[in-house]
Amino acid sequence: MKRLELILSRLLWLVPTLIGLGVITFLISHVIPTDPVAILAGENATAEQIAALRRELGFDRPLPVQLLAYFQDLLRGDMGVSLFSQQPIAEELATRLPATLELTFAAVLLASAIGIPLGVVSALRRNSAIDHALRVVTVSGLAIPSFWLAIQLQYLFAMKVGIAPLNGRIDGFGPEPLTGMMILDSLLQADWESLGGALRHIALPAITLALPAAATIARFTRAGVLEVVTSNYVLYECAMGLPGALVTWKYVLRNALISTVTQIGLIFGVLLSGAVVVEAVFDWPGLGAFAVISIIQSDHRAVMGFTLWAGAIFVIVNLIVDVLHTLIDPRSTR
Amino acid sequence: MSTSNSGFLAGAADIGRRLLRDRAALLGFALILLLVLAALFAPWLATHPTDVYEIHTARRLTPPGAEHWLGTDRMGADIYSRLLFGARITILIAVIAVGTAVLIGVPIGLVAGYYRNWFSDLLMRLSDIFLAVPQIVLAIAIAQTLGPSIENVILALSATYWPFWARLVYAETRSVKNETFVEAAIALGASAPRVMLLHILPNIASAIIVRTSIGMGATILTAAALGFLGLGAPPPTPEWGRTIAESREYLPEAWWYALAPGIAIFLVVMGFNLLGDGLRDILDPRIRRGGREP
Repeated sequence: MKRLELILSRLLWLVPTLIGLGVITFLISHVIPTDPVAILAGENATAEQIAALRRELGFDRPLPVQLLAYFQDLLRGDMGVSLFSQQPIAEELATRLPATLELTFAAVLLASAIGIPLGVVSALRRNSAIDHALRVVTVSGLAIPSFWLAIQLQYLFAMKVGIAPLNGRIDGFGPEPLTGMMILDSLLQADWESLGGALRHIALPAITLALPAAATIARFTRAGVLEVVTSNYVLYECAMGLPGALVTWKYVLRNALISTVTQIGLIFGVLLSGAVVVEAVFDWPGLGAFAVISIIQSDHRAVMGFTLWAGAIFVIVNLIVDVLHTLIDPRSTR
Repeated sequence: MSTSNSGFLAGAADIGRRLLRDRAALLGFALILLLVLAALFAPWLATHPTDVYEIHTARRLTPPGAEHWLGTDRMGADIYSRLLFGARITILIAVIAVGTAVLIGVPIGLVAGYYRNWFSDLLMRLSDIFLAVPQIVLAIAIAQTLGPSIENVILALSATYWPFWARLVYAETRSVKNETFVEAAIALGASAPRVMLLHILPNIASAIIVRTSIGMGATILTAAALGFLGLGAPPPTPEWGRTIAESREYLPEAWWYALAPGIAIFLVVMGFNLLGDGLRDILDPRIRRGGREP
């Protein structure tokens, strides 16, 4: 009952958070002292033209009225039209979501595959040379600027060695879009050529995003394992004469990985909404790349649309993570 | 845990001694010191100090060598010299942005944690909304609206980072407020501001210091990303993130162009992270006991 209560209260909290997010993007786009209308009108616009545009866009109305209109549009899914593609911004974001989703899945899988074993080894061989070396690696992984790493990987693997494509998502048309996720689509249609192309294209951006994520996962796994290894029940199992490997697998990992799973979920949310620069460097046609294109074109409405979308995705992913956490770890409902 | 002045000094000396024993934290401190020295003495350390704003088309994109240690950029400017002046921008942005975030976040957290009423709930809900979006996303939205300049980057960063301190101070204040010494101070008739500033704040300062060190690293990374996206200071400012963005056009020929600024960002962020880790081990024994770090 407690669990249901917690989930419901988190669900309810979603509403004010999204409204608050809407108010913040509204304030950023309507109240900040730079005149959005003057920017839209262009440098050569006369005062009369700006005034006419201001009336047309409704910027001359009182702020609360504007805020209400803003939310009415949002509820109808209307975020305005992108200057870049001349498509409705909401539609543009929706069609770009699968690309970002695919990249995020790939990066999180890769990060977990690297981070969890490293964290376990680090904890089990605590204070050994391996542990110290891995500490350096994980601290470094968190300090590397991702856009710089992206460029260095492009230089090395795409330009010099030539084993990976420089950017983009696929050569040619790719598989018939079913889910929009190319790896999944080509698997479903047994299109092996597209699968190879999609995998080659996703490799570098996925590695770029995965490295810092793997560092975080390794740190949390190490901490989790250490906490469990030193606990009484593990000591008890060892004293009962159970083989070390069995204790590690059955009793340590299962309990130690709870915080890791939560962390992986949070990373998923961050990457899904915040992989802006990496997508831009690799021309990955996802949400982040759209945000960068919109920044370059000073497309305010598109940037705000992206902010709202990214925020909403992040909030919802976090909510799912929270709920999962209460399901895996009953202690957290206390 | 002491509020008297001499005790505080002795505590600081003790922290210093323990930091010296932690090699990782010491390395972090050395890296930060290097950044500060580079920024302070940039005009004297630079081999070509005027290259920050001068153009030398004749020596564009020269590889690293005896004359230009780290090569030259698209304007023919010495990358090593520009790197040193870039350190000033990095420090300026990080210190002012984090300082502002601390100055906004800490009082909000203190007040909200001390009085527990509808207003403190409102303040915390507000910070939750800010925390509900990845920092880079909000910072992009604000910086893009304001237009590209260093001031706007600082504004965008402090507007998005204050909730981290508000949240932390709120939680710490609430736990300290129930301690006997705070109750005693209140019972003796100390005013609310006095209790908050003289009794609670000194006892949660260590948590704030640790969070600030790690926050500096995160802020420098985000600021560099904003610069990279073209939202930072306009050219010819020698900002590191922007330099990396400029270099892309000249790959694979000018491989040296992005190398140094990227490594510089990496080392500085690592410095703050290592120092933060070390400080946390010393100042926050609760986490150590939990087995986070040996």
